[in-house]
Order: sequence, then structure tokens, then C-alpha cells
Amino acid sequence: MRLYTASSEETLRARKLLKDWAGEGYLTKEQGLRLGQEAVSELRTTNIFLRLVLILFTLIIVAGTAALFLQVSRPSDQTSGIFLLIFAAVSYAAAEVAASQARLYRYGIEESLAACSVAFLCAGLMLAIFSGGYTPKPYLAHSVVPVVGVVSSLWIWHRFGLWYAFLAAMIFAAAIPDYWTSSRWAQHLMIVVFYTVALIFVSAVRPRHRFDYLDEHYSTAEALLWLGIYLAINLQLSSLNIRAQWWLGTQAGSEFPSPFYWTTWVLIWCLPPVILARGVRQKDRFVIAVGTIAAILTFVTNKPYLGWQRHTWDPILLGILLSGVALYIRRWLARGPDGIRHGFTAARLSGRDKRWMSIGSAALGLVSPQSITPSAQTKSPDVRFGGGASGGGGAGGDF
Amino acid sequence: MTILARLENWKEQGAISQEQYALLSGLSRGEPFSLFLELNLLLYAGVLAFVAGLGWTVATWSQQLGDVVVLTILSAILAACFWYCFSRAPAWLPAETPAPSPVFDYVLYLGCLVWCVELAYLENRLGLLSGQWDLYLLATAVLFFCFAYRFDNRFVLSLALSSLAGWLGLRISHWPSYQDAPYRQYALLYCLLVSVGGALLQRRGLKPHFFATYLNVVANVLFWALLSGVFEQHGYGVWFLALLVACGFSFAWGLKRRQFAFVAYGAVYGYVGVSSMLVRNINDFTTILLYFVITAVAMLVALVQIARRFGRAS
Repeated sequence: MRLYTASSEETLRARKLLKDWAGEGYLTKEQGLRLGQEAVSELRTTNIFLRLVLILFTLIIVAGTAALFLQVSRPSDQTSGIFLLIFAAVSYAAAEVAASQARLYRYGIEESLAACSVAFLCAGLMLAIFSGGYTPKPYLAHSVVPVVGVVSSLWIWHRFGLWYAFLAAMIFAAAIPDYWTSSRWAQHLMIVVFYTVALIFVSAVRPRHRFDYLDEHYSTAEALLWLGIYLAINLQLSSLNIRAQWWLGTQAGSEFPSPFYWTTWVLIWCLPPVILARGVRQKDRFVIAVGTIAAILTFVTNKPYLGWQRHTWDPILLGILLSGVALYIRRWLARGPDGIRHGFTAARLSGRDKRWMSIGSAALGLVSPQSITPSAQTKSPDVRFGGGASGGGGAGGDF
Repeated sequence: MTILARLENWKEQGAISQEQYALLSGLSRGEPFSLFLELNLLLYAGVLAFVAGLGWTVATWSQQLGDVVVLTILSAILAACFWYCFSRAPAWLPAETPAPSPVFDYVLYLGCLVWCVELAYLENRLGLLSGQWDLYLLATAVLFFCFAYRFDNRFVLSLALSSLAGWLGLRISHWPSYQDAPYRQYALLYCLLVSVGGALLQRRGLKPHFFATYLNVVANVLFWALLSGVFEQHGYGVWFLALLVACGFSFAWGLKRRQFAFVAYGAVYGYVGVSSMLVRNINDFTTILLYFVITAVAMLVALVQIARRFGRAS
């Protein structure tokens, strides 16, 4: 079912690990080279930058070709839909050939073709079947498009192993309830049910792949599902007019039945510890990250949830809390024997972490000054502050 | 064959020692599991949230709190941060130096951000430099460069680079009628300053690992500046030529040094610039689409050749 053989993917994984271990000094240079020769894969890979550029140009080619064809032939909507379905088939076939014959692996080309096939399939279906007049929602038959989107994205995820195809499947799934019911709370509930079912499935499959190359594959899927469930439950985040609710003090709960609203409030407090516990137990980096994000979002959205006034010092308290937790965990781990407690350490064990830190610190240092300076809160002639339009650590802000 | 089976195999062959086997098989199973990255991100988010709240609180409550209280609080935080950094910093070395403690970089970063907030407050309330914001930014940039090199901190280096860019940008905004052209010239001047400065420091062996940060910032600013010239209605020829030269240089540098970000910059910015030149006078949509399909195929073929020859996964 999967496009690449297990041995090919395991070899690639071994190659990456060997490089990392040699870089960290766990293996000597000679050992790294010698063992690396035993981990040669027939799959063609490239680095992240060329991969991104290849994705871009493949998308231009595929989208441009489809647009050119439709522009020249100028068919009716329905015929355009059929053409798009043909394009979907051609794109998918090309992706299969690129991966199976040319042995491209995360190369940009095959993944763009696969992604385009899903997009063409959904757009083609929409035009071919439903290109008639306007039909008011909810309209059950129209949901066939996101359903097909879910199925095809899941297939691409499974076949090519692309994590973002799973994300696409989740987005398609989130669109389905909109066609089935106009009740907002029922829509949220359905999304949670979809994701929970998927989560149960993924959790059941994962243990079989605990130490093989598929572990990361299922780990990202599980993390995305937890995040999806949390976002669907947190009504403050999933409501469209977040800004108005947060700054003007209107409550998102007005459009939801009260019991549902307050149940979700309880759940947004219950979910982060559950996710974190699961991540820690599984030693799963992605799930731990999602648990942390969910916890922070719960702190940030709690006041709007309760309809309480937000204070300017709330971010200060949040900052102290986050830093305090990080420092406490770090110290607690460092005090363990060899800096390890319960199988966890605060020490860096992989060169990948150092690379991420270097890239992140340079990039975030450039971005953060603009984001931390708040916009002006008052028009009083004496007090004008904020703006942050000029960077420079916010010092360019206009008072 | 999983990595655990491979390790077992290599141990039996004698390719790795028993100790290495124990260590590496443990790492493969996540034993121990490192929380290094997560804890660093949490600290970073904490510092950022703290300073954002501080700035917001000062902005909203400065009248009620009074200048003395605000400045005392900000100065106390600032003094504490810098005291910590100067008292804990190891002796300066020109080469890459690890931070003396895991929180060191974040305390320094916090100090720098609080410095910005305090400076902004001072100018707003007391108007010491009569609205000459650019001088504050220049002084801040100089200070941050010194801190970045003293404490070997990329966060602060990035702050210094963005402050310097802000200084150049603000100087133009004081001009009575400013347009894109002066911004472009200042952007080029910025690129020149930063790249020459970075190269000189690298040649002298002063924190040579910072050079990549300089180059990435310079490349992006330079390409944006050149592209804005290419997008002009008149007088775009020089900018177009400059863009081609820059793309060629970026390509050559990226391939020679195996820094494929520069190959990507050259390919994408170059394609955008050349396409804007060629497509601007074409009104037929079909021809435009045809252009994009043909040129994208050409780019793809060229990039695949480059990827096959140079760009295996790193």
C-alpha cells in the first residue's frame, strides 16, 4: 500500500541518525563514514531549500497547464469539471511514476503532483456535479466534495507519507458538518467526533511501529488530531470574530447553548493535561508540543471565555509562568543522576536541536521586535505609545 | 531492518563498541528523551510574553503610575538582567562560545527588549532628543552589536540588524517627500554596510559563525530592493541587470559553499524579476499562461540537474 518499501525508508532514517550521531561525536568520523556506506538508499532525496523551490515550480507548471487548457478550450462549467477530473488522474499518475520509477522521495515534484491531484479532484467534482444554480446550505449532497477530499488526502498521506496531506484531510473533515447542519454547536460536536474516531484509530495502530520509521508518521498524525480536537472545542478560538470578542468584551457563547458552552470551557482545561500526559508517556515530541500549545491557549482564552475583562499585565503573568515552568523543569531534570529523571533530560542530545536553535534565534530575533510592541490604546494627547512599525526591538514605536 | 537491528548487527561485526551500542540504541528508543528544544522554546515564549505585557502595561498605565515608578521598574529589570549577564559571562573569545548557563541567552534577550521599552518611554515622556528617533535606533543597534559579540548571542545580533535597518528606514521617513527610490538606495547601503562589516569580522575571526546570519539578512533585503526597482515603470533596466548579477552571485555562492538557501533565493527572486520584465507588456492571458508553463518547466529541469549534482538531503 505504501509507495516506498520499509527497507528504503529505514535506510534513509538510519542515514540521518548516523549523520547526527557522527556530528555529535557519538561515533568517530571513520565509523560514521563506514557505517554510512552500509546505509545507502536507492531513493532520491534533496535538501529542504531545493525541495521548496521544486514544489513551487511544479505547482506553477501543473496549475498553469490546467489553466491554459481551460483558457484555450473555454468549456462549460460541467465540462471544465470533467477536464479537472482528468487532470487529477493525470497528476496522480505522474506523482506515482515520479516516486516509483524516478524514485523521488520528498523531492518536491512528486509531492506537488500528488497535492494537485487532490485539489483538481475536489474542484472537478464540484464543477462537474454541482455547477447548477445556488443551493442553500445545509445541503447533504454537496458534502460529497469534502468527503472525497478527506478520502483522497488520507490516501496520499498513507501512500506517500506526507504529513501535510493528513492536515488537509482534517481541514476537509472540518468542512463536512457545514453541509449537514446549520447548528454551530452540532458542527463543533461532529468535528470533535470525526477527530476522536481518527485518534482512536491512530492510537491503536501506533504501538506496532514504536521503534520503526512509521513512528514519526503516526506521531505527527496524532499530534495534529489532538490539536484539531482542542481547536474545535475551544469556542473562543474557532469563532470567526475573535478580535471583537477579545477586545470589545462580547462573548462567543451567545451563539451556543449554555450547557454546551460551559462543557467546552471545562474541556479546554481538561484536554491540555491529558495531551501532555499522553505525550510524556509516549515520549512523543509532537504530542508534547501540542499539549503545551493547548495549555498556553487555555490560559490566553480563559478570560474571554468567562467574559472577564482582560488586563494589560496578563501577558506578564503568562510570561512569568512559562519561564518559571521551563526553569523548574530544567532544574529538576538537571538534579537527577546524570541529569536524567524518569528517562528525560534537559541536555541537548542531537545536532538537529542545535541547528533549529541557531535558525530559530536568528529568525525570531528579526521578527519578534515588531510583534511585542502593542498598538496605541489611548488617543490622549499625553499618552501615546506603541505602533512598533519600525522594528529595532520596538524602539521605533510611536509614542 | 530497523535502526535497532542495524545497531545490533554493527555491534556483532565490531563496527561499534558495546558502550556505543548501549548509548545509540538508547537514543533510538528515546532513552533518555531530550526536552532541550521544548524548554528553550518555552523560555523564549515566556520572555516575549513578559515584555509584551510590560510594554502594554506601561503604555496603558503610565499616567496613573507616574514616570518615577515606571522608570524605576524598567531600570531595575534592566540592571538586574545586565548585572546577571556581565557577572556570569565567561572571558571573551573570538570563536563560538557556549552560554555559561541555559538561561543566559534569554536573560540577555530580556534585557535588550526592556532597554527598547525604556528608551521608547523616555523619549515619549521626556523628549530628550526632540523626536530624533533615528538616533535612538542607531545607538540601540550599536549597543546590540556590542552585546551580540560580547556574549555570542544570535538573538541580539538579529535585534541589532533590525535596529540598524529601522534607523535607515526612519531617516528617510523624516524627509519631506519620500518615495520608493530613496528607500531602495538606503536598502542597498544597508546591504553594503552589513555584508562588508560581516565579512571583515569573519575574516578577522571574530565570531565567524555569525556570518551566515549576516548573509541571509543581506540577501533578502538586497533581492527585495532590486525587485522593487525592477517593478518600476521607468528606469528599471539597471535594477534588472543588478538583479541578474545578484542572482548569479547567489547561485554561485550557494553551490560553492553548499548553502542551498542562496540557490533558492537566486532561483525564486530571479524568476520573479525576469517574469515581471517579460510579462509586463503582454496583455494576452493565454500567452502569459504559456510563458509560465514553459519557463517553469525550464526552471524545474535546471533545478533537478542542480539537485542531482549538488543537493542531496542534508
